[in-house]
Amino acid sequence: MPPARGHWASACEIDPFALPLEERLELLLKAEELLRGDPRIVRGVAESLAIRTVTAFASSDGAAFTQERTECGGGISAYAAADGESQLRSYPSGHGGSVALAGHEHLIALDLPSHAPRVVEEALALLSAAPCPAGRTTLVLGDEQLALQIHESIGHALELDRILLGEASYAGTSWVSHGDVGTLRCGSPKLAISADATLPGGLGSFAWDDEGVAAQRTVLIEDGVLRATLSDRQSAAAIGTTSSGAARADGFARQPIVRMTNVSLEPGDGGTLDELIAEVSNGVYMETNRSWSIDDRRLHFQFGTEIGREIRDGKLGRLLRNPTYAGLTPRFWNSLEAVASAPAWRLWGLLNCGKGEPGQYAHVSHGTPPARFSDVEVGVAR
Amino acid sequence: MNGEDELELAQRALTHLRGDQAQATVTRERSLFARFARSSATQATAIDDASVEMLCVVDGHTGAAATNQVDDEGLADAARLARVAATAAARGGPGAYPGLPQPARTDPHHGYDRATAALDAATAGSALAAAFERCREAKLEAFGIWTAGEVTTAIASSNGIAIADAVTDAHMTVIARAHDGRSGYATSTAVAAAAIDAHSLAAIAAARVTSIAPATLEPGEYTVVLDHAAVGTLLDFLGSLAFNGLAHTELRGALCGSIGARVAAPCISLADSTGVAGTLPRSFDAEGVPKRPLALIDGGIARAVVYDIRTAALAGTRSTGHALTPGGSPDGPEPINLVLAGGDAATLEELCAPIERGLFVTRLWYVNPVEPRRALLTGMTRDGTFLIEDGAIGRPLHDVRFTDSALRILDATEQLTAAQRLVGETDQYGRRFATGVLCPALRAGAFRVSGGSA
Repeated sequence: MPPARGHWASACEIDPFALPLEERLELLLKAEELLRGDPRIVRGVAESLAIRTVTAFASSDGAAFTQERTECGGGISAYAAADGESQLRSYPSGHGGSVALAGHEHLIALDLPSHAPRVVEEALALLSAAPCPAGRTTLVLGDEQLALQIHESIGHALELDRILLGEASYAGTSWVSHGDVGTLRCGSPKLAISADATLPGGLGSFAWDDEGVAAQRTVLIEDGVLRATLSDRQSAAAIGTTSSGAARADGFARQPIVRMTNVSLEPGDGGTLDELIAEVSNGVYMETNRSWSIDDRRLHFQFGTEIGREIRDGKLGRLLRNPTYAGLTPRFWNSLEAVASAPAWRLWGLLNCGKGEPGQYAHVSHGTPPARFSDVEVGVAR
Repeated sequence: MNGEDELELAQRALTHLRGDQAQATVTRERSLFARFARSSATQATAIDDASVEMLCVVDGHTGAAATNQVDDEGLADAARLARVAATAAARGGPGAYPGLPQPARTDPHHGYDRATAALDAATAGSALAAAFERCREAKLEAFGIWTAGEVTTAIASSNGIAIADAVTDAHMTVIARAHDGRSGYATSTAVAAAAIDAHSLAAIAAARVTSIAPATLEPGEYTVVLDHAAVGTLLDFLGSLAFNGLAHTELRGALCGSIGARVAAPCISLADSTGVAGTLPRSFDAEGVPKRPLALIDGGIARAVVYDIRTAALAGTRSTGHALTPGGSPDGPEPINLVLAGGDAATLEELCAPIERGLFVTRLWYVNPVEPRRALLTGMTRDGTFLIEDGAIGRPLHDVRFTDSALRILDATEQLTAAQRLVGETDQYGRRFATGVLCPALRAGAFRVSGGSA
């Protein structure tokens, strides 16, 4: 490969740094005001962020390039408390909202104020909602929660440095071996996962990674079978292959390590979310991540979401509070019954992907539509 | 830094906010990291970086900006951004920030070691070599990290605060691992690098790796012995869920309505204290408020939560010196020097002795809240989980998932070791900010296992 040279900048229609701060705040103040009113709403949060990162890279290989990435986004949250119960409801996602590799136009498109009344209504309703029942059932996951499920149980598990034990001291290892590539069944035939650093809007997009390797799209899982891993130059060389362009550092004082780019679930043929639910006689729907945990091999996970709903006879029913689900990674993905179709596919950004010592926090995105899983353990905390 | 010390830099930075109610905070980190895997050094990182955070207060609103461009141009730019942010926020009406604190006496502490601040890479090399050698003797591979650092913090404010504090910390973790994945763990955190005994850590980690095939534990409730690292993790989470004055004031905290009531077993006494030997002390918090000892749970009775300037005003009380960032974190204050009093058990074996069938946990991993109001947590065990049978640690177990309330575990606590250890971390979200929990190991009569990795 010729050495990387040139300049690349991410798309940015409205430069957030060219706007008066008052203009950016006005949108948030309007949304926050709409969260107030009911004394049971003890905390309303409207937040946005804009980050511009300029990097210059030169190496003894002859590489010399600069990159400029602009990230923008935000969200709203309402905390409700009464009678010894506390609940949280957010839009469009938990943990700071939706962030993309984009300009201020991304925040405007989220239209935070128009969602504030619903967020308040659901936060209050959750205070007296029924607890999520315990047992095994059909589970439909909203796309934002599924993004984190992909991140934790597939993305991290396929980082080649972990697989080769390079991160065993902290982040851990993997349930996958590099010898599994080409043969390991990771999930049902509905499971197709790619890592794509060229995806517009993805927080894991760039022109070159932090070792100067060009951005690329890699098929990680196809028809449920493992096809490749995420790698940097060192880990790839260790198994006699080439880097997948996934070396990233979170700043000048950190070393590049293997990180996710945009690891996504490809759309399926399941139609819309409503059509996924229509096939369920008895199950649970969960959306918006609130809690997450997975073991050091990325095998046993447990997630909680802000909100759940009973599914009865193909329709959403009563609200469920404190919903949780748990499982073992390969068994869970093998229970994947249906993936919604392309129009329901959305890209979700995560800002707090921790790995490495000293700590590094990668910004990554995951594209996914909603999906349906059979025979999943729910209501773990009951 | 051009011969200018951190306090002088903070005072120069403050001149760029002259006429404002303002605070300038300088943080300088110097550190070494040496990571290792498969008994080889893998990554070495040295950091020397100074940053300045400018805080401006306008009509009860704070605006902040940070920079590591410490010439006057960079400082002036950061000051302008902080002022613009506070002014813009104030256009929405008066805010709740009551104003910067007044100067107050800060106490000296034991948290600085000159030899550690020298950051001698040879110390790291010797530590790694010792760990590799001990693991090689046990036919295991060594994984882990050695790190040492010096962090100097200086605050200058328009109210006349002009203080500086230097701390050092050192940390080593050793994971001894067999080829089939069985692993053991040991860790040590201290003010001084000389206190880190790499050979002993590797020996402890190696001793947790047995040749017996692990068994599977069914979900259910078990009597548990939690080693120091596991106790430290639980208490660290309790710090944010139960003692955060903002969450408490907003009725979201796990101790809402319970101050003055029994929330844990009588053997549980928990304080936030920097004066106790073995902690990682600091003189003041991020707002320049002095650190003072604070009883949080006394003999099982909840006594207090912690506050910064903003949350204290909301609660109608005074700051306890627990601000995490200048102006206070939007997520509220937390105790960062938790000390759980020790008990009367001389050894871990003594804790295990009364247990007919139970669980021994070396450490907890990837713990997160499930229901914050109940301090309900979930996480996995890792690097040494064992069955306790007939009063003694026996067969290894596959890692298990727990889903339980930290307060419920403390309420079910029956006995603690006399010996406390510092369970610490050196960085938080990318900045070196060593914190630790000084705690004993404990036996609790109830610990809910909700699943496992087998």
